[in-house]
Amino acid sequence: MRSFIIAVCFVTAGYPSIAQGDFKTQIATAKKSYSAGKLEDTHFALQQALQELDMIIGKEVLKIMPQKIDSLNANPKDDHVAANVGFVGATIHRSYGTQRNAEVEIINNSPMVNTLNAFLNSGMLGGMVRDENTKVVKVQGYKSRLEKQGDNANGKPNYHLQIPFSNALMTVTANGMTEEQVLALANSFPLQDIAKLVQ
Amino acid sequence: MKKSVLLWLLFVCSFAVQPVRAQFLKKLKEKANQAVNKTLGTGETNSNANSSSASQDNNTYGGKPTNKGGGGLKNTTPPDVQQQIADAETAHTAAKYSDARYSIQQALVGVEIQLGREILKSLPNPVVALEKDTTQDKVSSTQWGWNNLTIQRVYSDKKDKQLTVTIGNNALYAGMANLYFNNAYGVQADASNQNIKQTKVKGNKAIIQYEDSKGYTLMVSMGQSAMIVWECINFADENEVMAAANSFDIDGIKKSLGEQ
Repeated sequence: MRSFIIAVCFVTAGYPSIAQGDFKTQIATAKKSYSAGKLEDTHFALQQALQELDMIIGKEVLKIMPQKIDSLNANPKDDHVAANVGFVGATIHRSYGTQRNAEVEIINNSPMVNTLNAFLNSGMLGGMVRDENTKVVKVQGYKSRLEKQGDNANGKPNYHLQIPFSNALMTVTANGMTEEQVLALANSFPLQDIAKLVQ
Repeated sequence: MKKSVLLWLLFVCSFAVQPVRAQFLKKLKEKANQAVNKTLGTGETNSNANSSSASQDNNTYGGKPTNKGGGGLKNTTPPDVQQQIADAETAHTAAKYSDARYSIQQALVGVEIQLGREILKSLPNPVVALEKDTTQDKVSSTQWGWNNLTIQRVYSDKKDKQLTVTIGNNALYAGMANLYFNNAYGVQADASNQNIKQTKVKGNKAIIQYEDSKGYTLMVSMGQSAMIVWECINFADENEVMAAANSFDIDGIKKSLGEQ
């Protein structure tokens, strides 16, 4: 068991340097291919480099997110960054709490973010998607969409909050919380700093 | 007589602010001018006619002037790939990952545009007796850096026959086309007419479609995300469309785009 934990620590600790090493390798490959006039190989290597950067940026975002919000502790084992170059940049995931819990997901560099922004900023479209369970709220100055999604097993409400900021979309899924608790949770994220990292 | 001519002119001026009737007005104005000149000899009322035409030329209806022309935008050179890669390395070393990302995206745009221009150079000319019109050549790439290259060329006989070929590597479009290829209901036919059907171009799965208003459209899916589309206006029949498509080096294009 101890050796397993050591192995996990070794792999986890080593990952950032592997990722950064990969970035440099991909850049070296891109340069070499471009000099040789191999455009498609250059393209592929640059895409890989972009993917590596998305992974690094995702990990930097996780570093500045709070470890504890109110009484909810972050679950580091659930931290996850997935790079998906192009249509969706990277997906960054963190969860908080156990019974009363929240999951946070940030998608950056996604053209789909513009679609949600269009909905939130257009009176006509915003009105069309609004019903008794959905409303537009402001989180740190960003117009956001809050949706009540039924109740959990204990009869407490579940919420889904979408906050588009910069070119990223943060989605908070909160279980067993009141509307005020969900908004307080969302307000504790350093959105401006995250925006600087992911823009 | 004079009175009737003036009334006629007033009638003309009252309509002059409606641009949609420009053609109609022009004819009326000519008639009015002819009538005035005939009656009064020299151009006594020419100033009226000119003011009418000036207000029309200025196009200031609604209080907002319309743009009559300008220098347009100058073509920018594609991003310098080597410079962008060097910038990305510098930004990465300084832990400015967002800047590094931007530079990599710019480098990708630069590579894609070069790739597109090479593909344009490799396209055949002429195609079924239609000459290429290089003024309409287009290569575009978006900043997302993945499957967003679009290449377009137009071939024409400078009359009414035209072929537009578009090559793109956008997974989204290609995915839609693949829906056709994999959908049994994608083939429409009734007892007498068929306006869409599956076919093959040089061994690649293809769809050909015909509409009276658009002519023939032929689509070939290349590999995972690339696609080539021929839009043929005033082609005699589908054989001519297939002959045009067969003159393109599909395997060469596939290879350039890194598709299998």
